[in-house]
Amino acid sequence: MTDHSTPATADDLEALADSLSACADELHARLMRAIRQTLPTAPAAPLHPAGNPAGPAPTAGIDQGISQGAAQALFENEVALRQRANGLYLDAAMLAAGGLGGMQHQLLDLSAQARETIRKVDRLKDLIGITSELLALGAAIAAGKPEHIATPYTQLKSLLDDLHRQSSGQPPTA
Amino acid sequence: MKASFHPVSSVLPTVLLTALLAGCASTDRLRDVRELAAESSKLSGYTDMSVRFRDTYAREQPYLSPAGDERERALDTVRRQQYADCVSIAKSVALYLDTLAVLAGEQQYDLSDQVQRLSSGIKAWPDTGLVSSHVNAYAELTALLARTWSAPRQERAVQAMVHAGQAPLQQLLAAMTALLRYYDKTNANEKAIVLGMLQVEIAYADTPANRLLAALGKAQQQSKTVEYHQAELTYRLAEKNLATIAQAQQALLQYVDQLDSAPARAALEQASQQLRLNRAELHHPSD
Repeated sequence: MTDHSTPATADDLEALADSLSACADELHARLMRAIRQTLPTAPAAPLHPAGNPAGPAPTAGIDQGISQGAAQALFENEVALRQRANGLYLDAAMLAAGGLGGMQHQLLDLSAQARETIRKVDRLKDLIGITSELLALGAAIAAGKPEHIATPYTQLKSLLDDLHRQSSGQPPTA
Repeated sequence: MKASFHPVSSVLPTVLLTALLAGCASTDRLRDVRELAAESSKLSGYTDMSVRFRDTYAREQPYLSPAGDERERALDTVRRQQYADCVSIAKSVALYLDTLAVLAGEQQYDLSDQVQRLSSGIKAWPDTGLVSSHVNAYAELTALLARTWSAPRQERAVQAMVHAGQAPLQQLLAAMTALLRYYDKTNANEKAIVLGMLQVEIAYADTPANRLLAALGKAQQQSKTVEYHQAELTYRLAEKNLATIAQAQQALLQYVDQLDSAPARAALEQASQQLRLNRAELHHPSD
């Protein structure tokens, strides 16, 4: 049994909105032609056959046009059409953006995995740093050279401070 | 283990050190990936135009009749919700690309600093005599480093991330492309409403009695025309940039397994260059 009520796709909605917008463009062109027939200051426009459902049709040869009130009413119709079209574009946007949660999650997971890898490398760098400072410190102590202790001791302390800061979520100072 | 004070040759650690440093040196292969990912993650033009879309009602409001205003306010509420979705999509794409850039980073797997310090630390010992267990520990650590964190390892991690992320990334980019198109078309209707209203009313205000009103209206018409023209240019550039990003990511997928090859370097460099050009154009949109 065929389902006659398949929901509209984003493309369907966009196509409908495009037609409404084109309709509104055509309405506007006719409106401006009608207005220009009224007003002497406006440039002359070629006469077109009547087809304006909401106002008096301009007839050839007669300097009749439309009043401001009529023009405003016609323009209001045009605006309503355009707003309807924009509503459809918005519906299409909601459709297009919906159901993407899965894709977003995949990317977020991949990013989290990569950040974990990066974090492990950082930890390893710190570990190596501490090891090398310990070695230098040990060598200085074993050699009985107090003047060689200060530098590795300071660097070691700084490394440990940074590590502590990192694990409590603050940025390192160096 | 009995402690002994044999002066131990430092040849073994040095050999391992050299091997390790050599493994650390070549991160240049990932430079193209890094630059491409970093440029792509900026999503130039996209966020600005999303904000512009969100604020449609504020710009239209002065030109709407009471009925029009009421209709537009309903649209405004939904637009704000849509903007939140739009931002969330952009954020996950940007995060993925940023993280990829860091993973492919120059300093990321470069342990030469650390290894140098280890080397200085070890060199401080020869005067006092090395204990063999210390040397063994040092050698083991160096071997572990060489095994675990090498340039090939980094490259494999980057390749895996590119492969795994490609399908969801392209789908999200396609959705963002569609969204920009809807925003662009909405802007066209907004322009027609604003400029259309001015056009209709100015036509009836163009009398000697209403000279000031007509002049003010025409001035507003002029500046709004310029504004919408700029917006249209920017939408086109943003759409073009999104297409470039999608193509660049496809090139990345194609070439990430052969980064040293000439076609790979050419394709990826060209893609990064195009993205930079797009970004510059977006700062100064012109015909």
